[in-house]
Amino acid sequence: VNPFAVLGIDESADDAAVRAAYLAAVRKSPPDRDPEGFRRIREAYEAVRDRERRLELSLFGPPPLDRLEQVLDALPAERRHVGPAPWLAVLQADHR
Amino acid sequence: MSKRDRHGSRAWSGGGTSGNGPQEWRGRVASLLAAGKTREALDTAKEWFKERRSPESEALLVDAYEARLRALTARGLYEEARELATRLRERFVAYRDRFAGVVRQSEMLGGKFETLVAELASTPPPRRGEMERILGRKLTDPGMLADSPLLPPNDPLRRGARAVADLFTAVTSGPLPDGALARLDEIPRQSPLAPWKLLVRALDAFYRRADAAVLANLSAIPAESGPARLVPVLRRLVGEGAAPDHRSLAVATLLDKVDGGRARLRSALKEVTRALETKSERAAVSAAQSVLSLLASAPVAVRRTFTASLFHQWVRLDLNPAALMRVLGRTSDPEVVRLAALAVEPTGAWDAALAMWDQYLAAAIAIGTLPARGLEPALILLHMVELFPADPREVWDLFDVESEEELRRLIHAKELPECFDRGRLLERALAAHPDSRVFRALVAHHDAREPKRANAEAERWRRAHPQELEPLLYLIRGAERRGSIRRALGLVAEAETLNRVHPEVRQSRFRLLLASAERRIKESKLPLASTDLDLVEREPRAGEGDHAAYLTALRWAIARKAKDAEAAAGLEGALAARTGNPVLNELILDSVSNAFGVEPPSPCRMPSPSETIDAVARGLDLFRGLERPLAVRPYRFTHVEGSVSRASAAQLHSLCLGGLWLPRPSLTYVASGQGLAVGGPLLHRFLLARGRVLGTAIGWEERERARQCLRAARALAGRARDQETVREASATLETLVSAHTFNPFGPADDERGELTPEAISSIIAAERGHRHLPHFEAPTASRKRRRRRRRQGDLLDDLLALIGGTP
Repeated sequence: VNPFAVLGIDESADDAAVRAAYLAAVRKSPPDRDPEGFRRIREAYEAVRDRERRLELSLFGPPPLDRLEQVLDALPAERRHVGPAPWLAVLQADHR
Repeated sequence: MSKRDRHGSRAWSGGGTSGNGPQEWRGRVASLLAAGKTREALDTAKEWFKERRSPESEALLVDAYEARLRALTARGLYEEARELATRLRERFVAYRDRFAGVVRQSEMLGGKFETLVAELASTPPPRRGEMERILGRKLTDPGMLADSPLLPPNDPLRRGARAVADLFTAVTSGPLPDGALARLDEIPRQSPLAPWKLLVRALDAFYRRADAAVLANLSAIPAESGPARLVPVLRRLVGEGAAPDHRSLAVATLLDKVDGGRARLRSALKEVTRALETKSERAAVSAAQSVLSLLASAPVAVRRTFTASLFHQWVRLDLNPAALMRVLGRTSDPEVVRLAALAVEPTGAWDAALAMWDQYLAAAIAIGTLPARGLEPALILLHMVELFPADPREVWDLFDVESEEELRRLIHAKELPECFDRGRLLERALAAHPDSRVFRALVAHHDAREPKRANAEAERWRRAHPQELEPLLYLIRGAERRGSIRRALGLVAEAETLNRVHPEVRQSRFRLLLASAERRIKESKLPLASTDLDLVEREPRAGEGDHAAYLTALRWAIARKAKDAEAAAGLEGALAARTGNPVLNELILDSVSNAFGVEPPSPCRMPSPSETIDAVARGLDLFRGLERPLAVRPYRFTHVEGSVSRASAAQLHSLCLGGLWLPRPSLTYVASGQGLAVGGPLLHRFLLARGRVLGTAIGWEERERARQCLRAARALAGRARDQETVREASATLETLVSAHTFNPFGPADDERGELTPEAISSIIAAERGHRHLPHFEAPTASRKRRRRRRRQGDLLDDLLALIGGTP
């Protein structure tokens, strides 16, 4: 998955921004609690940690995914709290 | 015909009922009701009521209506039953209580909440069960039950409903505190609120991302219960099950609000995959458009990943990239061209990819997304250079030319785009940015074609990057090749100021001084040769291995050339003392005699097999390391090959490598076979040697054995952390595969896959069992003109026509 997307940074981010995003992501997915997430973050960081690597990636990347559905992995898997109304609306709409 | 006629009551009436007495009418209605024909019974009762409006006929009509209402209710037509009963209550005032009961029952059964709850409140426990079951089916908001004034505040159902309603609101509004769900424990499993309890637990698990618990709770919710309608939605949200009904606005709104459209994106992505699987280009384009619109607000990196992956699959399936390029934007859009070029590369259509990169570069520079000078264009030009086949003849074959010059003439005459001139691309890269990588590629490009030009480029490289060792090392090797030893030694001195401990720098001075000494011996400049040897002997490498023995042999050659027999005899004795092996003395002196044209001494008589093995192994190590030819009398090899069982593992390894270097494949084959039989820590190296030598054998079976040995060598070396062997095995394997198969997507899966320990053991056992020497005679190389190897029909023409380039 595109390392920029994993770290949630823009392709124009500099070394400091990349490092800050990496540390923030590791805080969210520390290796002891989320080893898979940590591995992905670490790989992403290694791929974009300096200008040269970012340049290579922007010119010759991103690597293609094996399955298109893997695009979802790059998007934050949101589970928003939206209150009871939309949930009840489904029950009542179907009921009507 | 009216409904009544159709149902036949008229026929009965017309059949002579007129004049029938009440008994007959009642009997007829009763029999119809008993047969379940409530409509016909009602029609008959109406008939009699019309004919004779009497209290008796009215009572019969009310009975028929009541039966009809119950029939409607039984069929689930609650609303119809309720409306009819309401009208009947007004019409038959005397019987309104009978109809009121039916109305209440219809409302209750039809899910009219207030009626149901009121009934529930006034019904004693034994009959309450049925109503609770109805409530369980109809309850779509536990808050209504919790707030209903019809139930007493301390009613367990109302208390449970309050708990469920509160927790449902809380769990959908934010994270629940620990232990919050304990309130649900009061609700019994038989309660109409039990499905709600499960739903709240599923929601809590959903927001805690405990998807297994979500599915477990959902699976326990009865399908006919009120909350069951949320089961497919929640399943969808955790990525399980089929998509729920998206035609429902409420469902779509909920999904979008909760997961930010992720579920819809997943469905759309699956649509694209399905369309690609069936190679339905139009459907795939349409589905891809849906995905792109859903990704409109996603980060650029995500959109780009999708587009790149889609392109990759598209081209791999041999679909027309032009259709996709049109969907993705303007076909001249550099980004679209770049992604298309990247997708085309793995198909083997290097020429199409090259032309597209050239197009991308021009377009991106024109619109300012890439600078005209700098590292970016240089890297792209280098990438383009790397797309060329390693063998220049493949390029010539593609364009039907016989030489580089002919190709350049076509390019000069504008019959071919300039991007097909590798040298010109490198010049452009250098002009864009004089990066070391560009210099390295430029020097490598000219090295095989024009050594002088390569040397000049290395000089430019050295001037542009004076702190880099690599151009100096190239210049040292070049000077050595040309015989300019003094110049090379000067360059070594410069290299030593940059990095004295670099292995090549450390070895260069020894190698150059040795070369100088040898040249002076050949030129019979014997005093100068002796001086050089004095210098060589001061180098640290002079003390390594049997180097000192070789230097003694050179001094012996000087003495022989100077016809100083006494000195030569003394040096022969010194050499014997140094090597401790008369056969090794023979090998060294024979080799030196061959190189400098002096008479060799007489061969060693009757050496033991161990002495011969030791001598050949050491001699191979020495001369391979010095890159000097080793002269071995053929019977010595025969002796060694016949007695390898006496060799140590280290000697076997030396014989394996020496056999590959000479080349004498039989020596490597026999020594590696013995090495595999012995086993030990060098096992992976013996497998590598076996694989390499089998790779030179004639026959598919041997090549397959070579492949297996190399894979096993790589796997074992990886475990032994011997990276050099891993690299060598991978490189040999790649050469072996690419030489005999065409695979546009790289090595097959089984090439990349790791062998199991059992598979490795089986390969080793099989090799130990092979006793016969394969045929190693190399086939005569013949150059056959290869035609354009294209997976994609007219891909280059199609794409270039689309992006406006010229093939």
